[in-house]
Amino acid sequence: MSKAKKVIEEAKEINNPEIDLVDKGISSLDEIPGLFSLENITRLTLSHNKLQVVPAGLANLMNLEILNLTNNHIEELPVSLSSLPKLRILNVSLNRLYALPRGFGAFPVLEILDCTYNNLKETTLPGNFFMMESLRALYLGDNDFEYLPAEIGNLKNLQILSMRENDLIEVPRELGQLTRLRELHLQGNRLVVLPPEIGFLELASNKSVLRLEGNFWVPPIEDQLKLGPSHVLDYLRSETYRVLYSRHMSAKPPPPPQTLDKSKKASRMR
Amino acid sequence: MPGIGKMSLDNMFCTRCGDGFETNEKIVNSNGELWHTNCFVCAQCFRVFPDGVYYDFEGRKYCERDFQVLFAPCCGKCREFVIGRVIKAMNANWHPACFRCEECNMELADAGFIKNAGRALCHGCNTRIKADGLQNYMCHKCHGVIDGEPLRYRGEVYHGYHFTCATCGVELDHTAREVKNRPGYAANDVNNLFCLRCHDKMGIPICGACRRPIEERIVTALGKHWHVEHFVCAKCEKPFHGHRHYEKKGLAYCEQHYHQLFGNLCYVCNQVIAGDVFTALNKAWCVHHFSCSVCDTALSTRSKFYEYDERPACRRCYERFPAELRRRLRRAHHYTLRRN
Ligand SMILES: [Zn+2]
Ligand SMILES: [Zn+2]
Ligand SMILES: [Zn+2]
Ligand SMILES: [Zn+2]
Ligand SMILES: [Zn+2]
Ligand SMILES: [Zn+2]
Ligand SMILES: [Zn+2]
Ligand SMILES: [Zn+2]
Repeated sequence: MSKAKKVIEEAKEINNPEIDLVDKGISSLDEIPGLFSLENITRLTLSHNKLQVVPAGLANLMNLEILNLTNNHIEELPVSLSSLPKLRILNVSLNRLYALPRGFGAFPVLEILDCTYNNLKETTLPGNFFMMESLRALYLGDNDFEYLPAEIGNLKNLQILSMRENDLIEVPRELGQLTRLRELHLQGNRLVVLPPEIGFLELASNKSVLRLEGNFWVPPIEDQLKLGPSHVLDYLRSETYRVLYSRHMSAKPPPPPQTLDKSKKASRMR
Repeated sequence: MPGIGKMSLDNMFCTRCGDGFETNEKIVNSNGELWHTNCFVCAQCFRVFPDGVYYDFEGRKYCERDFQVLFAPCCGKCREFVIGRVIKAMNANWHPACFRCEECNMELADAGFIKNAGRALCHGCNTRIKADGLQNYMCHKCHGVIDGEPLRYRGEVYHGYHFTCATCGVELDHTAREVKNRPGYAANDVNNLFCLRCHDKMGIPICGACRRPIEERIVTALGKHWHVEHFVCAKCEKPFHGHRHYEKKGLAYCEQHYHQLFGNLCYVCNQVIAGDVFTALNKAWCVHHFSCSVCDTALSTRSKFYEYDERPACRRCYERFPAELRRRLRRAHHYTLRRN
């Protein structure tokens, strides 16, 4: 009996609602008979396997609250996942996703979405992506975003947003509407200025995180950053900066060069 | 080359890149600092200075265009950049020719000015207006003088006849009432003007604490309306004044007292943590949920873990990350250590 099969048998026996199938060399979920009939499970963790396909039938697991598919070879997700009525945490980081399916944003209660380290960009997100109002954390680090859509402002409950090491050229003023944001990762992008509205977010307290290093900031922001992120926030609120920002936005200088070499990313493997 | 004549090429280095110079290489000498011609560039656009023109500001050099975009002040009247003499007055910058008396249009740059009810006036006009004794209001819409009482709206004064009642459409005068809040709207979502008759017929919200009508700013929370100063923390009774409040069993608490009374929220289950709390990376976890964010394996207080986007990753998972990602995370980690 395969290791995976054994896990399933045991889970059935003791009625374990949390299934761990980590690093079991699984390349297809069809190898695990009986998995889709475990209707009572609340967590399924499949990290570090070799899955290329996520079968639509996974959506039969109506009680799933946590689905963790980190570090597989997934190139496509079935839209049926969005219909899971209780799914609160979805982790698809470290995969090979170039796009998310149409209608993907329909999750009724999703709180944490982790798409770190894929090949996503603004043009390959589905139209309803920013309708997931229940999200409190959105991880999009290590992807290929150049622009963050203004609809990000709809995610009113967002407390954590990571855009670490993308190709961001600009972030929208609407980011300033996310009044619950306490963690913002913008390090390693191609940003030159920030909307003044960011200055009014509560990102300076000892329970907050603001990461800005590794961008192409205008010298006054770079100078404040040397003193610490809270100094940047103070500066963003100043009248001087408001003028600088509006001038910069109307002058529209060419964006800084792309600096990250992504050709070696594991998510690019075919 | 004045200034560097006696120095040997061996101890001459470029101010920007720190490298040395080739024999016979052209060297830029600016106030004793040396540069490769390719390195003598604008601090903002990294391009060579057009016609050699640059602006030295706070230790950095900028091309004319970028200097203006970044630092040159903007005239409060014509909105053009002010190069040369800047008049700083009335919380703004002005071209000398643009800063004028708002009564007689005389230039004020050298004559001096007096601030009178938010306007810059020359000495003559100021004395005259003071003598007239009556400070006439200026309509914020048409900039004409208002005879008699003004209509006040959103902190400005107007001729009443620019507005009509939001309910019956009648032309308004200074007796009109501004309603800033209505049930179901957040403070200042709606600013409407009503004639006295319609205003008196409207339902004015009642404060859930003092049971008196709310005419000014309103807070809507816990399914009720409140005077701003009457919406308070159930524990310390301090008003929230727009700060975040936390609700529990029909009562509202300030952040401090909510956490004191009900504890932290778990990052995974988002529930108030009843028993032991694990805190790390600006987050809290309940006993059941403190685990590796990659493989969901439980961590203990003694587990070694790696930080990954401010979340914990166990050693086994970290070692399975692609090598190029680990390299970047390591570099970023050094960076944070240096900064803090
Ligand atoms: Zn320049
Ligand atoms: Zn001017
Ligand atoms: Zn008027
Ligand atoms: Zn009326
Ligand atoms: Zn009251
Ligand atoms: Zn309190
Ligand atoms: Zn928990
Ligand atoms: Zn792990």
